[in-house]
Amino acid sequence: MTKGWKLYDQRLAWVLVAPVLLLLTLLLLLPIAMMTVYTFFTFVTAGVESAVLTFDNWKEFLTDSYYHGFLWKTVRVGAITAVICAILGYFPAYFIWATTFKHKWLLLLLLIVPFWISFTIRTFSWIHILGEQGLINVVLIRLGVINEPLPMLYTEGAVIMGLLHFLLPYMILNVYVSLEGIDRTLIAAARSMGCTSAQAFREVTLPLSIPGLGAGLLLCFVLAAGSYVTPQLLGGSRDALFGNLIYDTIMGQLNWPMGATLSIVLFVLLGAAAAAYSRYMGLSQIMKGLSA
Amino acid sequence: MKLTTTKRLERLNERYANGDVSRRSFLTLTAAAAAATGLSMPWMGRALAAVSEVRFDGWGGVVQEAIDKYAFQPYTAKSKVKVVQGTFGDENETITKIKTSKPGDFQIVHSSGVNYYIKYVNGGFNSEINEGNIPNMANVLTAMIEPFRKITPKLSAVPYDYGTTGIAYNNKVISPEEAKEKGANLLTDKKYAGKVGGYADMTTRVWYAALQTKQDPNNIQDMDAVWAKVRETRDLAKKFWSSGAELMDLLSRNEIVVTDAWSGRVAALQQQGQPIGYLDPAGSYAWMEDMLVLKGSPMAECEELINFMLDPATSIAVAEGQNYPPSLDPTKVKLTDKIAALPAFDPTGSMKSLTFADPLYWAKNEDAWTKQWDRVSKGA
Amino acid sequence: MRAEHPDREGRWAWRLTGAITVCVYVFMFAPILATVVLSFNASMFGGFPLTGFSLRWYEKLLTNGPVLDAFRTSMWIALVTATVTTLLGIMAALALVRFEFRGKQAINTLVILPALVPETILGVGLLVMIKAVDQPRSMTLLVLGHILLTLPYVVLIVQARMVGIKRSYEEAALSLGAPRVSTFREITLPLLIPAVLASVLLAFTISFDNTSASLFWRPAGVETMPTQILSMLKISISPEVNALGTVMILLTVGIPLAGGLILQSLTWFKAGK
Repeated sequence: MTKGWKLYDQRLAWVLVAPVLLLLTLLLLLPIAMMTVYTFFTFVTAGVESAVLTFDNWKEFLTDSYYHGFLWKTVRVGAITAVICAILGYFPAYFIWATTFKHKWLLLLLLIVPFWISFTIRTFSWIHILGEQGLINVVLIRLGVINEPLPMLYTEGAVIMGLLHFLLPYMILNVYVSLEGIDRTLIAAARSMGCTSAQAFREVTLPLSIPGLGAGLLLCFVLAAGSYVTPQLLGGSRDALFGNLIYDTIMGQLNWPMGATLSIVLFVLLGAAAAAYSRYMGLSQIMKGLSA
Repeated sequence: MKLTTTKRLERLNERYANGDVSRRSFLTLTAAAAAATGLSMPWMGRALAAVSEVRFDGWGGVVQEAIDKYAFQPYTAKSKVKVVQGTFGDENETITKIKTSKPGDFQIVHSSGVNYYIKYVNGGFNSEINEGNIPNMANVLTAMIEPFRKITPKLSAVPYDYGTTGIAYNNKVISPEEAKEKGANLLTDKKYAGKVGGYADMTTRVWYAALQTKQDPNNIQDMDAVWAKVRETRDLAKKFWSSGAELMDLLSRNEIVVTDAWSGRVAALQQQGQPIGYLDPAGSYAWMEDMLVLKGSPMAECEELINFMLDPATSIAVAEGQNYPPSLDPTKVKLTDKIAALPAFDPTGSMKSLTFADPLYWAKNEDAWTKQWDRVSKGA
Repeated sequence: MRAEHPDREGRWAWRLTGAITVCVYVFMFAPILATVVLSFNASMFGGFPLTGFSLRWYEKLLTNGPVLDAFRTSMWIALVTATVTTLLGIMAALALVRFEFRGKQAINTLVILPALVPETILGVGLLVMIKAVDQPRSMTLLVLGHILLTLPYVVLIVQARMVGIKRSYEEAALSLGAPRVSTFREITLPLLIPAVLASVLLAFTISFDNTSASLFWRPAGVETMPTQILSMLKISISPEVNALGTVMILLTVGIPLAGGLILQSLTWFKAGK
């Protein structure tokens, strides 16, 4: 079959990527295109829409402060989560990289283990910590610190906590991968030239680990802003994020055109974040982080 | 394996010839059957064995357990037709699923009355039943059938039971006198802030807000006042529940002390010895439930099952189990004392003492109000 | 760095780093441990305090039909997904690493896109599309969706490994007249095995664990393990859910760990040879 083809013939490459390309076109590109078309459809009544083209859905989105509020809230929660992840995640990444501990692999393994535990289970396990009968409240009441259980579950704080729990390993791995790429002799050189360890960190280690930190921030932001299950399980109904709005519009109100509009909005927003990032950093860092 | 597949294909072909299966799903099923010859996957069995199975979707919990125990299990024992069951807490979600499924994936739904009936009819999901095949319909209250007939002269659903959404309260905290005096306003009583509950459902929320603002829920004049009351309850509420099981859980664990509640579930709690009182305030939200047959269902089997469910002995046993009065006419069929004692029970059979939602009025406002409720519930 | 004559400042910073690291690890595992502990609680309610040791929630779990059904369904989906995705991923990675062709960069980006687009959007998109072509939701759709979700990870893993395999091995075999297919089978594949196993495992766990998108895609009456847990949670935080969680943790952590160990001993065995 390949007689007469060059060793690295382009045609063979296309044969190899063809199934993946077909899959991505059918399941990713086409659906997004269809969704875009759907945003111009007319909502008739719950569960029924017609292919009469209209700008109503977009008009509604653009003029209604309700959606803007949730969009802003989603961006805010996403950003807060990403920043806390970066701050909290940098220390362990640095520690694992710098430690002379013999069983470093164990620390790394423990970072990967959460990826294997069902996301739903990891999320609902927070109910046991934050709930009225959760660990914190039960201990505090036993100690006599409080009389009434503190309302911690079903708040925005609980949602951010759940998101942190889910996203921290992503951040740590991203930073760790980029720290691993640093040539350690650079630091030794800096130290031998009289830098304090703080200076060496500030001048050498930190700047060189920025790409990993950036990739982690983007990933955490995108995943947090796109989340649906965490706010549903740990938040009250006010703590909904944009993903919940989309789900409720489609599954509850049965308003598909509006649901498609909201989906496209979220897609464009997160796409813009990723595009802005890749402009400065290139996507290759994210790939490194994802495959770590 | 080979033999059974051939048989299934034959059966399928028969259904296709009878027009039960659309051409597309026939081809899909044929392909699936062919594939199954080599590789039997768990989900394919379900699609292929459709004829000896009927799918039912209900409200779960004690209600569905009662239906299963007193209706489905005896029916399966008698007819060898298996009833595959699913549950839901929000019927709208079920409608979305039906919308994106192939006809026949969902068959019988334990639907909540005419308000929802309209939605299925508008979506074209319902399937006309042959009333001649359900002789037991003769015993069903005319007052319950009429509203359905107004929507479609030829029915796709048969009323099965009814109940009310009244006020349930913990009588260790709230005395019956206090409950009686305050009625629907208990849900906006600041004294119980953080201990209030409610059904996370637009109709229930708007209905009770209408009662709180002294308006007729079937002809609301001041919607702003209604939404203000909905917000008031929302701010006092610990949690809006979304399934009967969750309602029972919250009440029995004292997480909430007052909530609007389904009469049958409260009766179940009382039978367990929980200190829960129940009150139907004036204009309490009454509803009925029906067995609705969807497009693509094996009609003969579904009709036979519904007829079996309406058999007085079955219907009474189910009613006692699920704590909702049956749709049987008490002037024609002798009902038991236990049923007579159930909340919401109407001994006259005229249904005049109960306030149902006017389906046309609610259908007209449904989309806008659902949207608004969605927003209010998210803090708007 | 610790070894490199730390100054006082550095020592303090290092201690702080260590302390925060410990806190982060506790943060990550405490809730999970709480779930495991509570699954053995005798109490009716799924919360603290502990009232006694009991295995009855596990017994109850074993007789819970819907849970077992959901488990079987998820196993099937995850198996099919892992197999197909790994196959497709190897092919794509091969092309993306070994070949130069126009549009390669675009395809590279396209391939990782499903990992960056929120699942809610992927979920809605696929639903809108099958509705537009008037197809019902089906098991095939759910599996295809899972393949889409796992593809980026598999391609990335295989790519990373493939970069490390020298072209010259393959080229040598080819120049000696070996056909392409057998070159791949005899040379490339054995060297790729760790990546392949890692891909299968990862694709399996991602598929088995997928929640958000599956909520949109699952056909009528089908529950996967996570959606089943979600609907159980909707009713109440019962101890049974905790038991289920514990079983799931044992399975999903146990399988990859065992896989990794086997892999380790295999390479060790080979090296010893």
